[in-house]
Amino acid sequence: MQNRKFLAVVTLLVFALVLSASCALAAEKVLKIGVLFPLTGPCATAGQRCVAAVETAAEVINNKHPELDVPLAKQEGILKGTKIQLVVADTQGKPDVAKSEAERLVNQEGVYTIIGSYNSSASKPASAVTERSKKLFMCGCSSSAALTDRDFKYFYRLAPTDKTESHEFVEYIGWLNKNQKAGIKTIGLIYENTEFGKHAADEGKAAAKAAGFEVVVDVPFNPGATNLNSEVQTLKAKNPDVVFGACLGGDYTLWVRTMKQMNWLPKAVLNYCTGYQDPKITQQLGADGNFFMGGTGYSPEIGAKYMKKVAAVEKIYTKKVGVPFDSDSIQEAVALFILAQAIEKAGTLDVEKVAEVLRTTTFDSPLSLGGKVAFGPGGQNMKATSIITQLHDGKYMPVYPTSYAEIKAIVPMTPWDKR
Amino acid sequence: MSTFVQVMLDGLLAGMLYALVAAGLSLIWGVMDVINFAHGEFLMVAMYLSYWLGFLAHVDPIVSWVASGAFVFILGALTYRFIVSRCIGKAAMAPLLATFGLSMFLKNFCLNRFSPNFRILQTTVLEGKKIILGDIVIGLPQLVTGLFSLAILFALYFLMKKTRLGWAIQATAMDREAAELMGINTDRIYLLVFGLGGACVGIAGGLLTSYLAVHPEVGALFGLIAFLIVAMGGFGSIPGALAAAILIGLVEALAGFYIAPVFKYVAVFAMYLAVIMIRPKGLFGW
Amino acid sequence: MKTRKLEQKDFLWIGLVCVLAALPLVPGLIGNSFRAHVLILVLLYASMAQSWNIVSGYAGQVSFGHSVFFGIGAYGAGMAVVTYGLTPWPGFLAGAVLAAIVSVLISYPCFKLKGHYFAIATFAIVEIFNRLFMVWDWVGGALGLDYPILPDGWKNFVWSETKVGFFYGALALFVLIFGIVRWIETHRLGYYLRAVREGQETAESLGVNSSAVKISAMAFSAFLAALCGGFFVQYNYRVDPPMVMSLDMSMKFVLITILGGVGNFWGPLLGAAILIPLQEYSRAYLTVLGSGVDLVIFGIIIMLMMIKQPKGIMGILQDLGLGARETKREGEAD
Repeated sequence: MQNRKFLAVVTLLVFALVLSASCALAAEKVLKIGVLFPLTGPCATAGQRCVAAVETAAEVINNKHPELDVPLAKQEGILKGTKIQLVVADTQGKPDVAKSEAERLVNQEGVYTIIGSYNSSASKPASAVTERSKKLFMCGCSSSAALTDRDFKYFYRLAPTDKTESHEFVEYIGWLNKNQKAGIKTIGLIYENTEFGKHAADEGKAAAKAAGFEVVVDVPFNPGATNLNSEVQTLKAKNPDVVFGACLGGDYTLWVRTMKQMNWLPKAVLNYCTGYQDPKITQQLGADGNFFMGGTGYSPEIGAKYMKKVAAVEKIYTKKVGVPFDSDSIQEAVALFILAQAIEKAGTLDVEKVAEVLRTTTFDSPLSLGGKVAFGPGGQNMKATSIITQLHDGKYMPVYPTSYAEIKAIVPMTPWDKR
Repeated sequence: MSTFVQVMLDGLLAGMLYALVAAGLSLIWGVMDVINFAHGEFLMVAMYLSYWLGFLAHVDPIVSWVASGAFVFILGALTYRFIVSRCIGKAAMAPLLATFGLSMFLKNFCLNRFSPNFRILQTTVLEGKKIILGDIVIGLPQLVTGLFSLAILFALYFLMKKTRLGWAIQATAMDREAAELMGINTDRIYLLVFGLGGACVGIAGGLLTSYLAVHPEVGALFGLIAFLIVAMGGFGSIPGALAAAILIGLVEALAGFYIAPVFKYVAVFAMYLAVIMIRPKGLFGW
Repeated sequence: MKTRKLEQKDFLWIGLVCVLAALPLVPGLIGNSFRAHVLILVLLYASMAQSWNIVSGYAGQVSFGHSVFFGIGAYGAGMAVVTYGLTPWPGFLAGAVLAAIVSVLISYPCFKLKGHYFAIATFAIVEIFNRLFMVWDWVGGALGLDYPILPDGWKNFVWSETKVGFFYGALALFVLIFGIVRWIETHRLGYYLRAVREGQETAESLGVNSSAVKISAMAFSAFLAALCGGFFVQYNYRVDPPMVMSLDMSMKFVLITILGGVGNFWGPLLGAAILIPLQEYSRAYLTVLGSGVDLVIFGIIIMLMMIKQPKGIMGILQDLGLGARETKREGEAD
């Protein structure tokens, strides 16, 4: 008879799950926006920060914030009082889950737009869903250039692609050779063998070859490694002058520490949007993280100088997650701001008209580096810029382009034993 | 030449760490014929404990491994008492599935409580220390972990072969009913074995914190490699686990360097298949 | 072939299929809803688990390698559509045949191994395939294959307006696989399989060629798993190695069947009918409570299930007095 009781308990649990479905009460005049990020799994840190960033933007838009000097802050909601309601969903970092959650958001929750999904491999099937059902997909930071090569009508992406970043890296190396006599000839790559890493590396290789650099070593590895000994050993043996890195999270710390242990450094390291940009990881690496470089769309240091209006918004965000914005998460906040601005400008929720506004308008965006957002063909933000920074005691110091540069980069990097 | 020696050394040290992670699994598997699917997550829990001790109380991993070992010993014993003992022997795969549920629970509980952030201890006694011999560099944390692993494996071996408790464990492994008739409390032996298995992986986790970042997914690959090592060494054989672990460490390092880093685990898994085809019960299997 | 007398089980099953086939006729029930998505996944995962059940349940060879076959099927369809611009149909067939061939090549040496040694060997095979596919450019490597937007319909086997097509596709898969298993169950192969499970030596002494029996079970199983893989990639418009060829995916085959009841005709369906809605609804509606809460609860439920009734849902039903007669007659319980 114990089994009957047990069965009853399990049935109750299941019913509780199903019932909790129906208790989401809809208030008057709300606009539901789906927020689809990896909240569990290997990319959960980044995903949770992205959600917090979207929530920050929604808070600013929905409430009166006379103290903030960003669009839509001074009024309540959009279209004369429509509030934005976020519906958060989890991709687990998996494409199939992203696809089915995108469908649920569109068909079941009836969201107007989806903002997502961090991993390029998840953004792809999720945006295929929205495209088919003629809904907008605002993509903050997925960096695969392939996303905007699909000629989708309802897909818009804010961040620069890995293609743009690769070209900037190569350009910067050329500049270093000319102005700092860096003498860089060879390039090596280390990247996680995933959609993101592979794509970044392919673009990096293409850009390097086009500019006449020799790619001497190409090291993909499986993310979540127990050690990176052979990877670093391979780099060390080929000894490239510059390494392009695409290692996320824990792999990034492991990589830096393994290089330290093996007592090897190239002249310079340039990172794609990766563990390099994570303020927590930088903090934990301490002095070991110094002199590494990477593409950066935002850091508090850059913000203080070029994006003064961010600081007040950032306070709301930092309260949620305990760290300042990073290049990835801030783009997700921008995604919601731009969407809201487009709706406000269109004066209607008609998707076609809003998409038209998105395609044709140059938006003011105080949260973007450069202050403007305008979408080109395929939905890529043509004004997306990222600058190259070098890490100095936990601070991201801009070094290139020269118009942004604060300091002269330390190239070659100070070897481990001289630190 | 020095590169070759370096690669071999790295492989050897990685292998010794794997041995310590796998020894506990091997013990449980050999004695009880139960796959503990939550083994990798035990490692993760131990790493979190050691991290928090280091972060909040400033206890160095070189000391806090004792606490990690003890904690996971208790965790293992509880797992046996409340989960495994209730489904063992009833259906073939039940303990595997139950521990799979446990691994899901532990992983996501840590994710929820400690956030998915990567955490690494900044200033530990061993951090960044290394021994440099000409061109060859040996990281001190890895070396210390390796030596610990050898010592603990030896102690475990001694326990199994030379003490009354060890004999009782072996008797239980061979024939539970007969052992029961001989007056051995086999339930308690199982409890102890699960605890000991947990303690081994707990110690490994405690030491690992001195050079590896902790996050909820950290146990996955270690768990998988531990499965391989145990099957390759022969279930329940501690020398087998050591030999298999070192072999895997070496193959990983050599294939990673001389073939290509992406193929290092392909080589490891392929070698496992090759070994198991020649010796279907593992290197030291009985 | 002698015609077999239909049993109660068959009537139950045929009735179930008829009810399912009629579901889309109820207006608003299927459409494009999340409910339909869950229903399709239940049918798909039940079919997957049933294909696994042939070799692991009936023949007792616990395989963690089925995601390899599933993946080959998925890549068959994916490459037919993305790489060669064909319809997925030739891909389904090619993938399934290839999976059957691969399964024979793999299992021929592996069946020498006993118990857990076999299980771990299949683990290793999944990892090898996963990592090779990750670097193999011909199949798309780590980038994966993404479907272009194609017109809806049976020709391309994609639908976006409504899920009715996918629903009938999944139902067809379900009917095919459960039908084949029911057929195997009542024919000679089924008896051989169970004989091998209960004791290989005894079976051989009675003249059963155990290795031929096991290998043919494996080939059947892989062929059917690959068809499921083909459906999966059509349904998701994308394939990459971690999606289909991973231990996570292999665990799903195992988990669902064990939860439902191993070596039992109804086990996979029961397992999928409980586990899949649980997984989908808890992810959808518990995410608000904080990250990972859904999976924490999921883990607890699996543990509780196994502690209370290690024989799975089938065991619980038997304890409750349901299906007891059938068990007695066919003696299927472990």
